[in-house]
Amino acid sequence: MKRILLIGNPNVGKSVFFTELTGIHAMSSNYAGTTVDYMEGHFAVGGAEYTLIDVPGTYSLEATSEAEAVAAKFLNAGAAAVICVLDASNLERNLCLALELRKFSIPTIYILNLTDVAERKGIIISAALLAKELDAPVVSTVAVKKQGMDEVLTKLNEILHAPKDGCGKCANCANCSYGGNENCDIYARAKEINNRVSKKTGANPGFLEKLGDCMMKPFPGIFIALFVVIFSIAVVVFFGELMREGVLMPIVENFIVPFFRLIFTAALPEGMFLNILIGEYGVFVISFEWILAAIFPYVLMFYIVFGFLEDTGFLPRISVLFDNIMRKLGLQGGSLIYMMMGFGCAVPAIIGTRAATSRKERIVVAAAVCFAIPCMSQTGALISLISLYSWWMFPAIILFAFILFVTVTLIAGKFIRGNVAPLLIEVPNLLLPNPKSYGRKIFTRMKHFLHEAEVPMLLAILLAAILAESGALNVIAVYAQPIVSNWLGLPEQAVIALILGIIRREMSVAPLLALELTHLQAFVGAAVSLMYLPCISVFAILTREFKLKIALAISFGTIASAILIGGVINQICK
Amino acid sequence: MSNNLYSANKRTKLQVTSVPMNALLESIGIRSGTRVRVQNRYAFGGPVLLRVEDAFSVALGKEIATQIGVLEI
Repeated sequence: MKRILLIGNPNVGKSVFFTELTGIHAMSSNYAGTTVDYMEGHFAVGGAEYTLIDVPGTYSLEATSEAEAVAAKFLNAGAAAVICVLDASNLERNLCLALELRKFSIPTIYILNLTDVAERKGIIISAALLAKELDAPVVSTVAVKKQGMDEVLTKLNEILHAPKDGCGKCANCANCSYGGNENCDIYARAKEINNRVSKKTGANPGFLEKLGDCMMKPFPGIFIALFVVIFSIAVVVFFGELMREGVLMPIVENFIVPFFRLIFTAALPEGMFLNILIGEYGVFVISFEWILAAIFPYVLMFYIVFGFLEDTGFLPRISVLFDNIMRKLGLQGGSLIYMMMGFGCAVPAIIGTRAATSRKERIVVAAAVCFAIPCMSQTGALISLISLYSWWMFPAIILFAFILFVTVTLIAGKFIRGNVAPLLIEVPNLLLPNPKSYGRKIFTRMKHFLHEAEVPMLLAILLAAILAESGALNVIAVYAQPIVSNWLGLPEQAVIALILGIIRREMSVAPLLALELTHLQAFVGAAVSLMYLPCISVFAILTREFKLKIALAISFGTIASAILIGGVINQICK
Repeated sequence: MSNNLYSANKRTKLQVTSVPMNALLESIGIRSGTRVRVQNRYAFGGPVLLRVEDAFSVALGKEIATQIGVLEI
């Protein structure tokens, strides 16, 4: 099937087009580098099927990051057509890429997107004049509101069937005046076109523009940022807790578990098999108590809050505000975006670092995420655990994670050779999320979470049920006693957390929920699980993105530090 | 007068006179001749926030900003 490429600067709305045209949801956010890998989907133009490829956003075709290299690769491989998306509020820079694209001699249509944002900034662009300058079709749209989509398809159909010879349409053949023989200065030409097609009226900054500027001032920006972060955590914890305690736990305890208990006890004789199904650690008990009640609500709340922060353009703003601190740690502010993603799941965070320009930065971020940043489902389990004991543990564990984060980043930065490129990031306009794409994003992420986590979680739970109900756990516990009880000071049965934690991160906490612990034991358990192994999926992604050596180093490092530091905390505090 | 971007005055109109070799810097739109304005500067070695050609905002880390030469216009 023939390919059509969607190309443009980062953060101009390519993924929104992709979703509209193919019906496949591509993640979109308000910062550069949301798409670091390409996505493909099918769609029909004039009765024929094409493969549409959502190419990661790129400022140029010089491949300064792994994400940009993907764009260059696709263009070199050729395509039936290119849809080049331009940001109307920043036309000149976008035109540089548009002009650079021409040397590939692929028929192109241009989409002038974000015209609403441009208007608010007092910029009006004539699509007709631009079409004349570019000698190619230009469609003016507001993609998130679906304006102009039909016209895109019509024009696309036209250029796909346009004759390919001596046409005067620069984008369509190699030898026109601005085309393949281009020796002229692209930047100068972009400026010239921009001056001819755009008109400045008075800017009419709305509340969002003013707030966006205000957030970038060191004062009050830092305070606004801190407030937003703390408020976000509070929202996740409060509503997650409300859903768990107020809704899901009562349903699980009063309806779901008794329901299955009734069925199984009626159908099966007493014994180990029945216990594996519905005993204290039975599959049908813990899968609902742990996954549905203790983990699900927090993951959902996290994606609701995080998606909002992503779509507004908050994340690049905190990268700028906290760049000075990140520099002292040997990183740069932009790394914060990946770290925030890591609170959701380490896998997309590590993949997201492809937008970073240096390998060292990628590895240091990956190490910090694996050691010190719990994924959301683990955080959910941790909150569930802590809330059983005492709320002082909440700030204590955050402080602990922070110290850990600083230490790991400094150590990893020392050992890994290379440089971290300084901050260079575009700060987008502050926007309100579009309700539809925001809703779809939450839905897609939850679906993805359930899909990805389902099998390993159930596997872990089955393993837990069998180990606990068959008595095998008691045998293992005896052997693990020197470490688990003597050194870490935890009850012997807690060894199950260390076993299950290999499969999934949250499973290194969940088994502790069922144990009677002292406050110190709960804290040590939480600290150990925080540092403990990243899950199997993370191991796989570390191996794929870097190499086995790094995946192994991070895994051994996490286990060793978890046991060592957990034990030290216990020995000092007991 | 000639200056480096990192120590340039806030709010004054500037023109870039020299840039270090950096492909991303060039493609993001900061080249010799580009008109910029420092919007904000962040303490303790933080970045500078630039308004570029009055069209978009870019934050530059100290290490890059000190290598960019500017002229007040």
